[in-house]
Amino acid sequence: MPRNRDEDDDVDEDYEGLDLEEEEEEEEEEDRGRGGGGGSRRKRGRSSFIDDYAEEDSQEEDDDDEDYGSRGGKGGGAGKRKKPSASIFLDREAHQVDDEDEEEEEDGEDDFIVDAGTDLPDERGGDRRYDRRFLSRDENDEDVEALERRIQERFSRHHEEYDEEATDVEQQALLPSVRDPKLWMVKCAIGREREVAVCLMQKFIDRGADLQIKSVVALDHLKNYIYVEADKEAHVKEAIKGMRNIYANQKILLVPIREMTDVLSVESKAIDLSRDTWVRMKIGTYKGDLAKVVDVDNVRQRVTVKLIPRIDLQALASKLDGREVSKKKAFVPPPRFMNIDEARELHIRVERRRDPMTGDYFENIGGMLFKDGFLYKTVSLKSITVQNVTPTFDELEKFNKPSENGEGDFGGLSTLFANRKKGHFMKGDAVIVIKGDLKNLKGWVEKVDEENVLIRSEMKGLPDPLAVNERELCKYFEPGNHVKVVSGTHEGATGMVVKVDQHVLIILSDTTKEHVRVFADHVVESSEVTTGVTKIGDYELHDLVLLDNLSFGVIIRLENEAFQVLKGVPDRPEVALVKLREIKCKIEKKINVQDRYKNVIAVKDDVRVIEGPSKGKQGPVKHIYKGVLFIYDRHHLEHAGFICAKCTSCIVVGGSRSGANRNGGGGGYGNFKAPAPVPSSPGRFQRGGRGGGYNSGGRHRGGRGGGDDSLLGTTVKIRLGPFKGYRGPVVEVKGNSVRVELEMKIVTVDRDAISDNVATTPFRDTSRYSMGSETPMHPSRTPLHPYMTPMRDSGATPIHDGMRTPMRDRAWNPYTPMSPSRDNWEDGNPGSWGTSPQYQPGSPPSRAYEAPTPGSGWASTPGGSYSDAGTPRDHGSAYANAPSPYLPSTPGQPMTPSSASYLPGTPGGQPMTPGTGLDVMSPVIGGDAEAWFMPDILVDIHKAGEDSDVGVIRDVSDGTCKVSLGSNGEGDTIMALPSELEIVPPRKSDRVKIVGGQFRGSTGKLIGIDGSDGIVKIDDNLDVKILDLAILAKFVQP
Amino acid sequence: MFFHIVLERNMQLHPRFFGRNLRENLVSKLMKDVEGTCSGRHGFVVAITGIESIGKGLIRDGTGFVTFPVKYQCVVFRPFKGEILEAVVTLVNKMGFFAEAGPVQIFVSKHLIPDDMEFQAGDMPNYTTSDGSVKIQKECEVRLKIIGTRVDATEIFCVGTIKDDFLGVINDPAAA
Repeated sequence: MPRNRDEDDDVDEDYEGLDLEEEEEEEEEEDRGRGGGGGSRRKRGRSSFIDDYAEEDSQEEDDDDEDYGSRGGKGGGAGKRKKPSASIFLDREAHQVDDEDEEEEEDGEDDFIVDAGTDLPDERGGDRRYDRRFLSRDENDEDVEALERRIQERFSRHHEEYDEEATDVEQQALLPSVRDPKLWMVKCAIGREREVAVCLMQKFIDRGADLQIKSVVALDHLKNYIYVEADKEAHVKEAIKGMRNIYANQKILLVPIREMTDVLSVESKAIDLSRDTWVRMKIGTYKGDLAKVVDVDNVRQRVTVKLIPRIDLQALASKLDGREVSKKKAFVPPPRFMNIDEARELHIRVERRRDPMTGDYFENIGGMLFKDGFLYKTVSLKSITVQNVTPTFDELEKFNKPSENGEGDFGGLSTLFANRKKGHFMKGDAVIVIKGDLKNLKGWVEKVDEENVLIRSEMKGLPDPLAVNERELCKYFEPGNHVKVVSGTHEGATGMVVKVDQHVLIILSDTTKEHVRVFADHVVESSEVTTGVTKIGDYELHDLVLLDNLSFGVIIRLENEAFQVLKGVPDRPEVALVKLREIKCKIEKKINVQDRYKNVIAVKDDVRVIEGPSKGKQGPVKHIYKGVLFIYDRHHLEHAGFICAKCTSCIVVGGSRSGANRNGGGGGYGNFKAPAPVPSSPGRFQRGGRGGGYNSGGRHRGGRGGGDDSLLGTTVKIRLGPFKGYRGPVVEVKGNSVRVELEMKIVTVDRDAISDNVATTPFRDTSRYSMGSETPMHPSRTPLHPYMTPMRDSGATPIHDGMRTPMRDRAWNPYTPMSPSRDNWEDGNPGSWGTSPQYQPGSPPSRAYEAPTPGSGWASTPGGSYSDAGTPRDHGSAYANAPSPYLPSTPGQPMTPSSASYLPGTPGGQPMTPGTGLDVMSPVIGGDAEAWFMPDILVDIHKAGEDSDVGVIRDVSDGTCKVSLGSNGEGDTIMALPSELEIVPPRKSDRVKIVGGQFRGSTGKLIGIDGSDGIVKIDDNLDVKILDLAILAKFVQP
Repeated sequence: MFFHIVLERNMQLHPRFFGRNLRENLVSKLMKDVEGTCSGRHGFVVAITGIESIGKGLIRDGTGFVTFPVKYQCVVFRPFKGEILEAVVTLVNKMGFFAEAGPVQIFVSKHLIPDDMEFQAGDMPNYTTSDGSVKIQKECEVRLKIIGTRVDATEIFCVGTIKDDFLGVINDPAAA
């Protein structure tokens, strides 16, 4: 019955306190007189002081033993009074007294601690013995023991009864009620809480009953406050009157009854600190360092830990020599194993001593004990953390290094898990028992019940399910399991287990195809494939980034707070580890370059490296910058599959070797669209500037509803509407709508509601299409005029041969390095069947006209005759600033490949615009000069199956316009899609509204028409501007 | 493991292909579409061996495309855990080696290579036993056991071992 014995001890300690009272009081006085010094002695004195105080209660208890249980309030008070002593005085038996005192109180008198005294008794018994030994050794105080025995005998019976009485119901009855004394919170000086409590106690002793408070509590964790138990506030005030450390006129707060129990509830953190447990130091030089417990002294609350010393031998030597040591420590010495010989060389005195307890030899240097290079240090329990230590492999390896005694690579590994986070086993987890009789038993978790885990095992003859303590279990994996790391340094990574080494798994990461070492406890089985963390700040894995030293590279791996960047050095793979702050920005430019044979390489094109260190590698281009390509080869295992190569040492897979041919074709295509059908305005070709920005093809199209070649056949993803998320190739483009063939059917969606399909592996064909359509852009950067002629030639022949053929070639080329399924997708695409769908209806020539830029679908004003005039400069800027309606589909990334592939026609004008100052990239932006539908403009409505009608737009909201019929908007109001609307071109001296470009939204008067330009006097500032007629709409006053 | 199974697929056919050769067109499109693809359930479709049945076509509204439900027999290849495969080594590095068995890529970690085989870096990286009698390098054929598979949309990736009886190099063209 260790439990009872303990309690008896408690009492006897109380009495010890009583017996020694006078003596210790004297001591106390002495101590006070002496001020400092005599620390432990004094402590003891003081604590016994408290004890004797508490003991008065015990005496009372003694007296009315019978109705003890009903004296909850009082008893609780006693508990409260004693409580503070518990944690204050760690030393010697005084501490022990308190501690157990406390436990006794908890057990019997109040229910502040619900599960008081769970399974501690055994341990305590052990402590006690230890303690006694300690006592006898230290103080030779045999009397105490004798006394203890005597009192134990006397009170054992009482406590047995007492224990039985304390049932749950009675405990409930002990909860404080309104009739009980209340608890008041009193503010005092910080750090003086205990002092105040002791002073009050003294006061109580001096003054006796006229001090009407019941108890005083100072809590360790509560600074600045003490609790006073009393019936009335006045009593408290009376008691604290004149106290030095209690501020006068401080408010006294009442603790609500419900919270009273909480004040004294102690979270039972029974730390299971046993030998070989990994802990971390909390304070001092070794703060944060991993340590291994070698000895635990529960009584003195001290542990001996083994550490890797951080000792500066030089400094130590000089210190021991008595030389001056500079006080300020510039740095903490790195952890290093103590080398005794080295120490001797520095003339440090090394004593070799045998520890009387364990028989081990220690080297003693200046009071520090070393063994095998480790420092053995005895520290207070409070200065270490036990919870969630999670040592890393590095640390563990360091610890294991010097021993090399074949003890097993991670000797204390099983102890790693001793204090891990709660609740990490889940139903269905495969586990293995790592401790105890059932060691190595495998099973599956059935249920997790607090500390115990019910497991089901295949072993016959065992109870099923079997309850095992959580600490005795470890997760179990087998090679081949696919797992996800859920904690630790590799958190988030997934991979396949290739080796299981006790509790350490070696995982082949899915992303890096590298080995990762993790603890079994840190992973869960998962079929998910992730890359781990893929983003730090704004930068994601595989982003092209500019570094602060102006070099650039691709992020190939994310580590803790740092990126691994494959630098853009083509000669050799160069990997740099950079911090977040060293990255300047992400490079998102969309540039095309030429390969060795002058084929155009764009992002996503497949290229093969034909020279240099990565010769023979092949894959899609991920990034292009400064003529350097970053190619992703999935067979390349280093650098996350990225290869860096110069563009001139690569060839486009499927590209033609005679680059000129292709370029010519492309150029022809680009130009063809513009000039060929130009009956109305030859002038614009001399004008420059504007052609670059504005799409001529669209403007001069014969009619509405033409297709957009660039979109045709591209695989797009629908991003709005009921078909959101569907993918499919575009089979037809009609005005604002595109027809998209989904897996199952062809649907009609709003054109805005689609986005180019970007980078889903199986659907790579996008890139091939856009390659074709981007080709025409290219000539814009080379002297253009040479192309003028072939262009016209090609215009005479079916144009599509010029650009389509090579493209298709490539797309269906069997030697494209694709996985089979990619081929498959392309084949499934209707475009693959010999001809593209767009060839099927209609005659080829007219098709050319149906290749507007996306924008032109909106801006088209058939029948409008435009005159040319105006300064290129104006237009240039206007176009550059105007937002493109297409950009919203790729928010924030105007340079994404998708937006470019929408605008193949745009650059057609570019060759004619040298000297406009627009840079290479401007064609992309050029499409911005879009006409937007705006309220209060006159439009033509063409509803299918109905006659066209004029109306005034009243409202525009996400894609649909509210239009009032009639030229002044006096008629019915209907809803119309933008595709059904056409802006009515204004006539001279009409009031106009500018629906596109820089001045969008302004109104003005059209004072003249020059070709395709209108001269507008803007209302706001009476400026006269020359604007494209396409962005002018007839304004109708609402 | 190879299986000969019957699968079904809805094929969309453009009206252009209607006519006498409709069936041929449908089958050739099916072959293009299906052969070489990979699915988690069936593995790689290696070849179509025959057409079981072609259902009635259904005209799609608005497009004129016709959907035919087609049942076809095909040979599929799917690696399983525990299966023994023969594969060709494609790449050797310090972490192990990669091998291919048809479309399947298999990685054999160095932990799953017998302990007596050491990695030798150099021009032709390889794993060699201490006596030099067995060498694993690029192009050589190995017999291995699959211990884990991971199925992506487009490929199946396996982890294999040769650390078992009767596993390892079975033919080395370089040595021969």
